[in-house]
Amino acid sequence: MDYVYDKERMSALLYQIVAQQAGDKAELWLRQKAEVWQQSGALQQFNLTFSAIPRFIGKNQIIIDSTQEAALKAIVPGFSVQGWPADRVARAWWLLQLPVADKTAYVKQLETLFDAAEMNELAALYGALPLLAFPEEWTLRTAEGIRSNIGTVQEAIMLNNPYPALYLSEAAWNQLVMKAIFTDKQIGRIIGLDERANAALAAVLTDYAHERWAAGRTVNPMLWRLVGPFVNETSFSDIKRVWNSENTIEREAAALACAQTTYAPAIELLRERPALKAEIDADVLNWNLLSEKLN
Amino acid sequence: MCCSHELTEKDLAPITANPIFLEKIKGMRFFDPHVHMTSRTTDDYQAMADAGVVAIIEPAFWLGQPRTGVDTFRDYFNSLIGWERFRSSQFGIKHYCTIGLNSKEANNERLAEQVMEILPLFIYKEGVVGVGEIGFDDQTPAEDKYYRAQLELAKEAMLPVQIHTPHRDKKKGTQRSMDIAIEHGLDPRMIIVDHNNEETVKEVLDRGFWAAFTIYPFTKMGNERMVEIVKQYGSERIMINSAADWGISDPLAVPKTAALMLERGISIKDIELVCYQNAIDAFAQSGQINVSEFDTVKEIDQNLKYNGSSVLRGGQQPRVDKNATIIR
Ligand SMILES: [Zn+2]
Repeated sequence: MDYVYDKERMSALLYQIVAQQAGDKAELWLRQKAEVWQQSGALQQFNLTFSAIPRFIGKNQIIIDSTQEAALKAIVPGFSVQGWPADRVARAWWLLQLPVADKTAYVKQLETLFDAAEMNELAALYGALPLLAFPEEWTLRTAEGIRSNIGTVQEAIMLNNPYPALYLSEAAWNQLVMKAIFTDKQIGRIIGLDERANAALAAVLTDYAHERWAAGRTVNPMLWRLVGPFVNETSFSDIKRVWNSENTIEREAAALACAQTTYAPAIELLRERPALKAEIDADVLNWNLLSEKLN
Repeated sequence: MCCSHELTEKDLAPITANPIFLEKIKGMRFFDPHVHMTSRTTDDYQAMADAGVVAIIEPAFWLGQPRTGVDTFRDYFNSLIGWERFRSSQFGIKHYCTIGLNSKEANNERLAEQVMEILPLFIYKEGVVGVGEIGFDDQTPAEDKYYRAQLELAKEAMLPVQIHTPHRDKKKGTQRSMDIAIEHGLDPRMIIVDHNNEETVKEVLDRGFWAAFTIYPFTKMGNERMVEIVKQYGSERIMINSAADWGISDPLAVPKTAALMLERGISIKDIELVCYQNAIDAFAQSGQINVSEFDTVKEIDQNLKYNGSSVLRGGQQPRVDKNATIIR
């Protein structure tokens, strides 16, 4: 399967967004480049345009309205370009202009782009993962990107990107979440965070919390969101420690973790603070709100 | 590199903190158009940011150890447009680079040929402001060949050229570099001749090229000499840089020299030209420098620093108290 979504509609929508926000001159340049590319099919031309995009499109932050946002998500669930710099949106669109008839050639061309990409190009390529053809081909590349130390690249993969949750193996997924926590990302923005939570990840994260505590450092309260559903005898003592914290947000995190499990002692513990429990039941306390308080 | 200089007691004495120069240049902004940050630590980035360096150019150069395959060049070029750029942004410093095959390694022809093949993949990238640093080292035929080939590449890409002039036989090497550039039809205004000294500066300026000076202890220019050069030649088409690298060098050479110029009566306007604006004008001919981005990169840094968030985000670098005995 090349594209697993309606590529033509996505391409038209992205083009419309870029044209609307980057101005007439930019749109004219992009249109001309596309015509030249369609006629010549010269890969060097394709690469040069990909690199030159920011010079002509600029980097203004893209703001889309709710209709456009809904339209994007209707084509590729979870995908949005809200807040992206204009050049990144234009690059995503440009990638959709590559022919997919020859799978080997398509994959090779994208790998070439990855291999010689500068920092913003890398962010554009990884941000466009959910739009690429042959989605199963990019899992190793994604795992490689997670190992990157460049913050913008990590964020392009980890945050608001529906690709990893859909295609990464459990080990690679856990690596992503772990690294996101380790590098202090806003993990509430990881798509599929709850759906792909698993016992192995919960165990790694509690070990990580122990290390942090031993070093006298704090632990990101959002971490307990991933431990909550898998609470057992071992990790329950950690939850209790957080439950007794002097920090309000940490206590709330412990309460939310308890509300995620059927583990009896945790349910019991939550009953001790009926006010917190009531807030959770009424949905005035949840992980998203907690995340906002943190940032 | 400090090889021939004889060390004295004074050189070996512990360095005492002397931030007086920082006070003098408070509020000024600097552009260091030649500094090899790959060989420097994050502490240097922090110190440069504190001293008012807002943007830098990192030329591709010889890393100081043998490179035996083209892939190490590819990875190095990649790091200049990726990792190093990110590292710099963490300190609010805008990072540009020039890409090229350096003269020393041009002498390994088998490898040089392969490096030439991958250069077009990199020179068109965002933030690549020139072809550099290229030119002569030993002035061999191989160096001549790849210097010429890269001039042609720069011409085609309409990029400025950053020329490294040799340590040995400098005057002749500098003249020859300029002659060849003219022979290949390049406009002197697109060429920055680097590592000048008292012996080379006049001809470089007279022929219409940009003259860059490297303030580098023991082997290149000292900044007292630099002050005299500006007094004699003025500020037109003259710029200074640190060329700080893995040798004994000083990434604060540009702000320190500005402080010295101020102290010795050079006008603020001239200092600004020599330590900031001229380098921008020369390299902005690449179409790749947008001065407003100096602020964007700073804002990112400052927002992160001052938004009172308890969680560090976006790669912000927390500050470490260097004078404390306790490390947490
Ligand atoms: Zn150098």
